[in-house]
Amino acid sequence: MSRGRTRRRLVALIAPAVLLAACSAAPSSSTALSAQGLTRAADGWLGIPLSVERSLPAVTLLTTSDRPFVLDEELRGTPTLLFFGYSSCPDICPIHLASIASAMEQTRTRYDQVQVVFVSVDPERDTPERIGEFLGHFSDRMIGLHGDLAVVEAALGQLDLPGPIVEGPDPRGEGDLIGHPAQVIGFDAAGDARRVWPFGTRRADWVEDIPRIVAEWSS
Amino acid sequence: MNVAWWCSGNPGQVWTWRYTPFLGVWIVSAALIGGYLRAHRSAGRPVDRRLLRRWVAGVAAIALVSEWPLGALGAGYLATVGILRYVAITFIAAPLLIAAVPTWLLDRWLPHGTARWTAVRWLTRWPVALLLFNAVLFGTHLPGTIDTLKVYQLGSFAVDAAHLLAALAWWFPAMRREPDRGALREPLRAFYLFASSMLMFVPATFLAFSPLPLYGLYELAPPLWLGFDPVRDQQLAGVLMNVVGGLALWTVIAIGFMRWGQAEERADAAARRARAGSGPVDRTS
Repeated sequence: MSRGRTRRRLVALIAPAVLLAACSAAPSSSTALSAQGLTRAADGWLGIPLSVERSLPAVTLLTTSDRPFVLDEELRGTPTLLFFGYSSCPDICPIHLASIASAMEQTRTRYDQVQVVFVSVDPERDTPERIGEFLGHFSDRMIGLHGDLAVVEAALGQLDLPGPIVEGPDPRGEGDLIGHPAQVIGFDAAGDARRVWPFGTRRADWVEDIPRIVAEWSS
Repeated sequence: MNVAWWCSGNPGQVWTWRYTPFLGVWIVSAALIGGYLRAHRSAGRPVDRRLLRRWVAGVAAIALVSEWPLGALGAGYLATVGILRYVAITFIAAPLLIAAVPTWLLDRWLPHGTARWTAVRWLTRWPVALLLFNAVLFGTHLPGTIDTLKVYQLGSFAVDAAHLLAALAWWFPAMRREPDRGALREPLRAFYLFASSMLMFVPATFLAFSPLPLYGLYELAPPLWLGFDPVRDQQLAGVLMNVVGGLALWTVIAIGFMRWGQAEERADAAARRARAGSGPVDRTS
C-alpha cells in the first residue's frame, strides 16, 4: 500500500473523530461547575477563606418536623457547615452531602461537634418528608430546613449569595433544574462565616479540614 | 440524538438512559473485521471460520465495553465499569485477537526482516512486554492520568488504545506458538504470566483498600443513584481487577501447565518406547 493511500485513510479515520470530539454534546446539568480539587493554603486549610465579614443569617426557617428554627440563634455555639440546595439536584447537592457525611464518619466527628445544615431552595418540591428522606441517604443527623422562597432568598441575600433560578428541564425528566450556590459555607461557633468549600471539594479535602473546624472554630 | 466519537467522562453531565452512539467504536470495529477479511481475500486464502469467530469475538468484546452504555458509564461514572472495560479489553479481547491470527497472516502482516517486524519483535520480547504491560497498567490507572485524559474523547480513546496495544504485546509471546516469533515455552511462560498476575495485585489492592476515592472523575460525577458511595465503587473495581483478571491469568497458566505436563509425559513415554524398542543400551561405548 502506498504511503499516500495510508495517509489518506488515516486522515479519513481521524478527521471525523476530531470533528465529533469537538462538536458532540451530551445532556448536562447547568448547575454543575468544573470539578477540581482545592489547593492547600499556607495555614494548611483547603477551604477558601472569606475576605468579607458575614454572620449566620437572621431568618426563621422550619425543620423537617415543621418546628420554627431561628438560624442565627439555634446554630450558634457549635461550628456549622451550611449548604443551600434541593433534593432533586442531580449532582452538586448529593455529591457535597455524601462527601461531608463520609468525611465526618472517617474523622469520627460527631454532628454535635460540627453541625451540617441543608436549606432547601425548592419549596415547591421539597416537602419536609422529602427533605428528611433525601438527607437520610447521607446521615440522619444532618439538619434539614425549609421555608418560603422569600425567607430563603433573604438568607441567601444576607450572605451575598444569589437566589435560586430555574434553569430548564432536568435531562432525567424529573422537573426543572434549579441553579443555586454551589459552595458550602463554614461558620465558627460564634456564628461568623470563615471559609467556603466550592463544588469540586473532594472527600480527602474534607477529611483534612473537618478536624481543623473542630479544633479551631469550637467555642 | 447525541453522537460522540468515543466514550469519555463529562464532569457535571447528568447520566440519562438516552442512547448516545460512539461512532469511533463502529468505525474501529468495522476496520478491524474488514481488514481481517480483506487480508484473506487479497492473499487468496479461505477464511477459517473458527479463527474468524475468535477475531469477531475479540472485536465484539472491545465494542461492547466501549459503546453506550458500558463505555459511557465506565469512562465517566463508575470505576467498577471502568475496570470491567480494562479487564475485557486486556483479558478477553486481546488474547482472542492474538489467537485468531494464523501463522501465514502473521507472516503477511509482519514479514521477517522488515522494520515493522523488528519493532514488534522488540516490543514482544518477554521482559520488554512484561515491562510495557505493567507500565501501561500502572500509568493509566494513576489518578492524574484518569482525571486528566478520560475527560476528553481523544484522551479516553488513547487510554483504551494503549490498553489494547500493551495487552497485544504482552499476550503475544505467551500465546503464539511460532518459535521464530519469540513464543515462550513452559515453564518460562507460566512464570511470565504469574509475574504479571502478581504485579496486577498492586493497583488492584490500592483500589480495594484506599479509604478515600482516588479518582476525582468518579467521585465528582453526578451519582447514578442517591446514596452512591464512590469508595464502595472503587473497592468493587479493585476486587474485579483482582478476581476476574487474576482468574483469567491463572486459567491460562493452569491450561498451559497441564498441556506442558501432558506433552512431557508423551515425550517420556515415547523415549521409553524408543529405548525398549532398541534393546539394552551399551553404556561402555
